[in-house]
Amino acid sequence: MTTSTDPHADPTATPLKTRGRVLPSPVTPAEIALVAVIVVLWIALAFATPAFLSAGSIVPLLVEMAPVALIGIGMTFIIITGGIDVSVGGAIMVCSVITGKLMRDHGLPVLGCLAVALGTGAVLGLVNGALIAYGRVHAIIITFGTANLFLFIGLQIFASQPISGMPNTLAWFGRGVDGRTLAIPHSFAITVVLAAIAWWYLRHTPGGRHFFGVGGDPVAARLAGIRVQRRILIAYVITGVLVGLASIFTLAKGTSNLDQSVGSGQELAVIAAVVIGGTSIMGGRGSVLGTVLGALLVQTVKSGVTQLGWPSQLSDLFVGIFIVVAVGTDLVRRRARRDP
Amino acid sequence: MSVETPAPAAEKSATRSPVDRIVEAVLTQRIVLLGVLIVVVVAWLSYMSANGYLSGDYDFDYMSATLIDAVPLALLAFAELVVIVSGRGGIDLSVGAMVSLVGMIFGFAYGKWGWPLLAAVLLAVVAGALLGAINGFLVARIGFPALIATLATYYAYKSIALVINDQKPINSPQIQDLYTLTGSVSVPIIGDYVPDVPLGVFTFLLPALVVLWLALGRGTFGRRLYGVGTNDVAARWAGVDVPGTRMRAYVTSGVLSGLVAVYITAEFASARPDSGTAGNGLALPAITIAVLGGVAITGGVGRLAGVLLATLLIVWLNAGIILYFEGNTGTQFQLLALGVVLILAALLNGLTTRRFRGGD
Repeated sequence: MTTSTDPHADPTATPLKTRGRVLPSPVTPAEIALVAVIVVLWIALAFATPAFLSAGSIVPLLVEMAPVALIGIGMTFIIITGGIDVSVGGAIMVCSVITGKLMRDHGLPVLGCLAVALGTGAVLGLVNGALIAYGRVHAIIITFGTANLFLFIGLQIFASQPISGMPNTLAWFGRGVDGRTLAIPHSFAITVVLAAIAWWYLRHTPGGRHFFGVGGDPVAARLAGIRVQRRILIAYVITGVLVGLASIFTLAKGTSNLDQSVGSGQELAVIAAVVIGGTSIMGGRGSVLGTVLGALLVQTVKSGVTQLGWPSQLSDLFVGIFIVVAVGTDLVRRRARRDP
Repeated sequence: MSVETPAPAAEKSATRSPVDRIVEAVLTQRIVLLGVLIVVVVAWLSYMSANGYLSGDYDFDYMSATLIDAVPLALLAFAELVVIVSGRGGIDLSVGAMVSLVGMIFGFAYGKWGWPLLAAVLLAVVAGALLGAINGFLVARIGFPALIATLATYYAYKSIALVINDQKPINSPQIQDLYTLTGSVSVPIIGDYVPDVPLGVFTFLLPALVVLWLALGRGTFGRRLYGVGTNDVAARWAGVDVPGTRMRAYVTSGVLSGLVAVYITAEFASARPDSGTAGNGLALPAITIAVLGGVAITGGVGRLAGVLLATLLIVWLNAGIILYFEGNTGTQFQLLALGVVLILAALLNGLTTRRFRGGD
């Protein structure tokens, strides 16, 4: 509560009973609605396919969702500052192909893998962040460009053949028995812990509130003494590091093979999770909690569609509908409040 | 290499050298810059070809034949132009998914239900307009950010296109015969002196170009569109129907995607459920070319001629790359070229805005 005088908190995000608080309530109505939707879906799926609520189904769901939720944390930072990053798919490819090759050819240990993947991710994030913050070009254009660059780099390292025969160095992060403690997958637990830290940082520290200031009004933020460009740069580097960690999860959850399709389409899945979670694409408003719930919802839909025996491509249709419904209700609610 | 040409020029202007006038023309007038770049790329590749560095001949016949790839790219880049110019963060991520879905609808009508060609093409255009109208409704009427609305419809259209025929392409004999429509023809009267040109240039590209030029450059729609994109509040006070104009921009994008769907179905002699979404999809190159062609992502700025030249630059550059590198490496270097060109064009846009137009 040290930031109670912070002028950048979005007043429109405050619920009706503010009682003099500046911060929005810890859980927004949209997030409560998301929880409700997820609970309803889980109950419905449990009735439709009894196998859904078994550990054999929930554990893979949590493992699958971890990378998307993890990158979603970083993407929430970026979108709060008013930016976007459509290059994470390519970045996942670069991080995982480099780590995968080193792991297979040089027997890199676990810590080495982490260092390589996180370091590579940080460099890629730095490239994006530097171009966007100091080149002052719209983020979507730059990241469309770097997406192509990253794909090029990744495919060049692949050298036209999938990586096969990787050792299971990373089993601790995987979906097998080694990857669980008390039936909770490690990758999911790490994601939840990091999300909690990010949630607290964004909400309760001056540094975190600055991201909202940058997204709300960059000029006002600069006049208020916030180093706007540095905040933007940090948001992309955070995302890069998380992409690196997500690549470790991706390497760990797969088989001993890694092919060129790794990361493909992930950027849109991550953005979908963030947007469903209630973060405004216009910047200045959002929360990490919503993003994690959004990722959980998307993965629930994907698992549900598969388990019901429907064509798996159908899940994208539901993802699209969820985006429209989530953002649409938010828009209508705000408009109703603005002009009563 | 040629894609790096803007960088030294930009540096030159930064140090305020005396040749300011030419530099300023090249930097601020995108059409001049693109014209110079096209000449440089074509000259360089022809030189490489003449000295045997390329695995094939890079001559006017080859350049003309590669125009077959320019038709869908140009049409979709025009679609992005219209949408981005409409302002308020306008962008259409769903063009590739619309191409896939309309392609399947066209495939059903022409290949399975036995509709006559004209009726099937008409259906494709109407279907494209409807899909575009959904985007337009979400963005212009309800107020969705365009990025979100078209991301959602990208998912939805892509999914429907895949599910509608159980992921199988439609390639009945009627569809396969369509391939003849994309062959090359010799240009009338001067045909003996110039290379044959793909038919699609005359049946798709030129008509679309003329109609769009009339609508944007000579009609009231264009005046309103640029007005709305520059300042929608001012446009509203000037009596312009802002939501209606924006809506029409997205419908236009849908119609153009519908035409591309027909073209791609004919080009590949098959209606594929992932024709517009496979790999990177068609939206990314279309947006890249629009931005390269000088369309400002903030809306209100952009010319058809710039986008057309940008298409030619990318297509002819790609055509050279594919001759220089073999197989997969070639397509990978095309990704590199597209990315580098996009980033440099965007940085250049920002630089010239700050330096020559006093903006920041």
